[in-house]
Amino acid sequence: MTATSFLQRALLLAALIFVLNCQRSSGGDPIDFERDVQPVLTRFGCNSGPCHGKQRGQNGFQLSLRGFDSDFDYAALTHEALSRRVVLTRPEQSLLLKKATGELPHGGGVRLEPGGAEVALLKEWILQGAARAVPGTPGLERIEVNPKAYRFLDETTQELKVTAHYADGSTRDVTSLAAFQSSESAVVGVDESGTVKPGGVIGEAAVVARYQGKFAIFEAAVPLPGEVDDAYYQQLPRSNFIDELVWNGLERLELKASEPAPEHKFLRRAYIDIIGRMPTSAEARAYLDDTSPSKREYLVDHLLNSPEYAEHWANKWADLLRPNPYRVGIKTTLNYDLWIRESFRKNKPYDQFVYELITAQGSTFRDGNVTLYRDRRSPDELTTIVSQLFLGIRLECAKCHHHPNEVFGQEDFYQFAAYFAKVGRKGTGLSPPISGSEEFVFASDKGEVRHPLTDEVLEPKPLFGEARTAEPNEDLRVPLAEWMTSKENPFFAQTMANRIWADLMGRGLVEPVDDLRATNPAVNAPLLTALGQEFSEQGYDIKKLIRRIVLSDAYALSSVPNERNVVDTRSYSRRYRQRLRAEVLLDSIARITGVPESFSAMPPESEARELWTHRISSLFLDAYGRPDPNQDPPCERMEEPTVVQTLHLMNSEQLFQKVTSDKGQAKELAASERPPAELVEEMYLSIYSRRPSPEELQTAIKLFENEGADRRRLTEDFMWALMNTPEFVFKD
Amino acid sequence: MNVLKNCQGVTRRRCLQLGLGTALGAGFADLLRLRSEAASPVAGGRVVAKSCILIWLDGGPTHYETFDPKPAAPTEIRGEFFPIDTAVPGAQFSEHMRQLAKMADKLAIIRSIRHEQGNHGAGNHYMMTGAPPRIPVGCGAFVSFHPSYGSVTAHHRGHQNGLPAYFSMPSMTRSGGPNFLGAQFAPFVVPNDPNSSSFRVRDVALPSGLDGERFDHRRDLRSLVDQLPRFEERAAGDPVLALDEYYQQGYNLIASEDAQLAFDIHAEKDEVRERYGRNSFGQRALLARRLVEAGVPFITLNEGGWDHHRDLFSTCKKRLPEVDNTVATLISDLEERGMLDETLVVVLGEFGRTPKINKDAGRDHWSNAMSVLMAGGRTPGGTIVGATDPQGYSAVDRVLSPENFASTIYSKLGIDPDSVLYSAQGRPAHLVSDPTPIAELMG
Repeated sequence: MTATSFLQRALLLAALIFVLNCQRSSGGDPIDFERDVQPVLTRFGCNSGPCHGKQRGQNGFQLSLRGFDSDFDYAALTHEALSRRVVLTRPEQSLLLKKATGELPHGGGVRLEPGGAEVALLKEWILQGAARAVPGTPGLERIEVNPKAYRFLDETTQELKVTAHYADGSTRDVTSLAAFQSSESAVVGVDESGTVKPGGVIGEAAVVARYQGKFAIFEAAVPLPGEVDDAYYQQLPRSNFIDELVWNGLERLELKASEPAPEHKFLRRAYIDIIGRMPTSAEARAYLDDTSPSKREYLVDHLLNSPEYAEHWANKWADLLRPNPYRVGIKTTLNYDLWIRESFRKNKPYDQFVYELITAQGSTFRDGNVTLYRDRRSPDELTTIVSQLFLGIRLECAKCHHHPNEVFGQEDFYQFAAYFAKVGRKGTGLSPPISGSEEFVFASDKGEVRHPLTDEVLEPKPLFGEARTAEPNEDLRVPLAEWMTSKENPFFAQTMANRIWADLMGRGLVEPVDDLRATNPAVNAPLLTALGQEFSEQGYDIKKLIRRIVLSDAYALSSVPNERNVVDTRSYSRRYRQRLRAEVLLDSIARITGVPESFSAMPPESEARELWTHRISSLFLDAYGRPDPNQDPPCERMEEPTVVQTLHLMNSEQLFQKVTSDKGQAKELAASERPPAELVEEMYLSIYSRRPSPEELQTAIKLFENEGADRRRLTEDFMWALMNTPEFVFKD
Repeated sequence: MNVLKNCQGVTRRRCLQLGLGTALGAGFADLLRLRSEAASPVAGGRVVAKSCILIWLDGGPTHYETFDPKPAAPTEIRGEFFPIDTAVPGAQFSEHMRQLAKMADKLAIIRSIRHEQGNHGAGNHYMMTGAPPRIPVGCGAFVSFHPSYGSVTAHHRGHQNGLPAYFSMPSMTRSGGPNFLGAQFAPFVVPNDPNSSSFRVRDVALPSGLDGERFDHRRDLRSLVDQLPRFEERAAGDPVLALDEYYQQGYNLIASEDAQLAFDIHAEKDEVRERYGRNSFGQRALLARRLVEAGVPFITLNEGGWDHHRDLFSTCKKRLPEVDNTVATLISDLEERGMLDETLVVVLGEFGRTPKINKDAGRDHWSNAMSVLMAGGRTPGGTIVGATDPQGYSAVDRVLSPENFASTIYSKLGIDPDSVLYSAQGRPAHLVSDPTPIAELMG
């Protein structure tokens, strides 16, 4: 039976009942609360986040978010508010109907048409006695969307059909009751009725159809109109498997790749990406003048082996883990930072890094990794951070309600949290704002996690797959860490691979980078799978994965678009420009100007990427963005330029002083005997990582040779000017 | 390109062009004022406040010794100070709020906000964002679960005249950040002391030692060496285009002498500077007024040192008269300039303080009662909202929540407290969960 005919029948029935002024039990199809009534509440948004679904409800009436808790909703409708919401004796007086149809003033406006099928259905349900459940009603097993995929070759639209499958094998068309959402509305949009339409942007996207806590996915591809010859893709270079998969992705969308970037751009990217600063003029000169055909491999290995690699990559991880020293204490924060840095200095395999974090025990004064457990104290706090950071699974929502786009519910959340039930702590806990004392974390035999609604004590259970049960007296976190870092757990490798890819390529295959789920698909799923596999096969060696990506041809493409990829902003057909990280800019400026930055709570000549806490004050780092330790959890960094950054680069006292310092590089250059051409070349190399073009050189030399030109002042201004252009501020 | 639009649908760049096109003739500040009048935010047909100056007394200022004296309470509660009459018959302030008492008919005092967040981290969050912290937070915590008033205002209004929309001086308050709204709505922090003779607003004035001629020269040089190609096609999403726009704004700001004047506190007459008080706080309040004149919609003054667990009376004897003088001067000055109706002034901290004076002659944290001052922005003067019990233990009459307070601020600024914001991940968040403003203050 289709939904329409079902509803029509219900309507007819209801009408009939009214005409006959019949008794309660109508004899019609029994109406089930979960199967029939709740979908209407969901479809019309009654239980959505901004309405009655929010934490405290709306105007005293609260439903569970998107109907995940049927018992709660049933009680809210039938027992609360003096049972005025559902009036069994006079169904038409029910607030449920009078409010939703606008007969009584309703903050949410008119949601249901007074004469519509839904109203008839609800009325019939009440008339039948507003039962919680009709005995024998089969449960909903899954939903299916058809078609499952479509390639939008022109402006056509696609109608989706959603079918519900019940336990007894019966099906029902629930398209009109399903909710739809596009993962990328710029690529394809979807309306309430399930009609999918290209949104004007080229790419791939998923449309999620949701019905009663189940979802199904429709995959849409919107290629660029026109076709590219297969031969084009075959002749593209392939340094490794990454290229093959990126080009395949381009082929699906009929996109062409940009040209390879000039050598100096590769040089600059590699330095910035691997060690977090620009090459010096000497380094740039040496590389650009090197004629060896394998100089890229050599450079990448050289950078990966440099101690600067560890400082830069540890700084990225510190972003994610670093606590607020006001909360956990200075020594503890410092120890954590040291532990993270040490891990990167040793190139600790990533699975070991995570294993050591998860199973950490010992003293906060000696064992840096223990800080995780000082900072995150309750099993539920640990659950959210651990699942999001290492598995790309966001469970924060599941803590309180079933996530609308996820398969995880409250039970999953608290069963996972049960792994952290027996984390013991001794010593002095948090005592902000100093929190200076020592604390010990150990595997205790006490502690439990209970389901917040049923109060049942929960046994630990992984989010999916199998994990071994802990031995008696064994630390519960050991089987957890084994399960997390197991090669059978694709989320583990893929989440980290995606982070690394996003850092190097300017955009994650999945965005946000720590939100991996079927309803938020990767732009190139085969590539994500392959990167995860590679990472896992190479023993979770971060350096090896970086090397693989940096030496791919896809990494070395130019940012300059062509006719067949100018519209692409997500398939890696060209390089996407990225504003540099705050630390990269500041450390580069210190080298270029020859005047180191000075930080409090750090040794002299320390660099920004070496800071052990974001609380060390720096106007520059604040302007260019760093995680806010005040925010919990610390947010990702913002990459977009702001007017504040521009003003800072343009006018900051500190930068002006660096450029004009008597101990600075500009003064030294100006005071030297070197001819203007050399000065200019030196500055281009240190700031742009390239030599000036002949025209640029001529123009600059003329300035220096102008009558009355003040050599030092001109050098300073030249340096300032180069550092204030996008060529400096962006990774191109 | 991501061109943000302000609420009137005019892009920032266009605003700036409009402004500077005529700035040559008229004074910049005047012109900004004219323009912001043309673009007066209107909510429900009612003109609302254009700007808010929020004075945050960090630590939790005592309600007994400010606006809620309890002369009838026993000595160990009453404290050392005496109540004084105010311009509002029947309403009394504590003795050091002398000037504010005289102008009480221009002020509203809320005596009945209460909440349950009795530590600094949580109390700051609640009063600075209108949302309680989602998880228990420690006293020393600096947390953010929800955007602050200033960030929401910046988000709602956009950059005004190329200036940052949200200033915080001399530092950001604990929970004064943008949270999920993103870094571009973080406060522009001016740490320098405007009471110093070398004060300048960082980055919007030329660095000392750089003259205008050299600045122009550098600007020319910059355009000479800036050879990176731009991808003008919108679909290409080139972030460099946004940077270009910001450089243009930055240049315009620097190039306009009148705009510079708006930040130049030294241009104020000595007598005005004296009147505000020759201390950092006084001069920051004066600078806040100048920023309001330049069109900045939200300015927070984060004034530390109000956590009087000990020696409350000796400290208050010195500090209260300063605050009294500066706040009274700010309100009078705004009124004399015809700006009070469009400028909301708010003075508060995270909570009030304990009734019983402790062994160190201090009072401890107490979130059952607090006093908040509000003036301007068409707040009806002479209003005392609610009351605490005769001993000041708790708000008992017309009990209000931080949500009511937040909704009042937003409503006055023309921002619907009932609106829903979305995080980058699409999670909806109500701006204020109880969007009911305090009716007595809405005018």
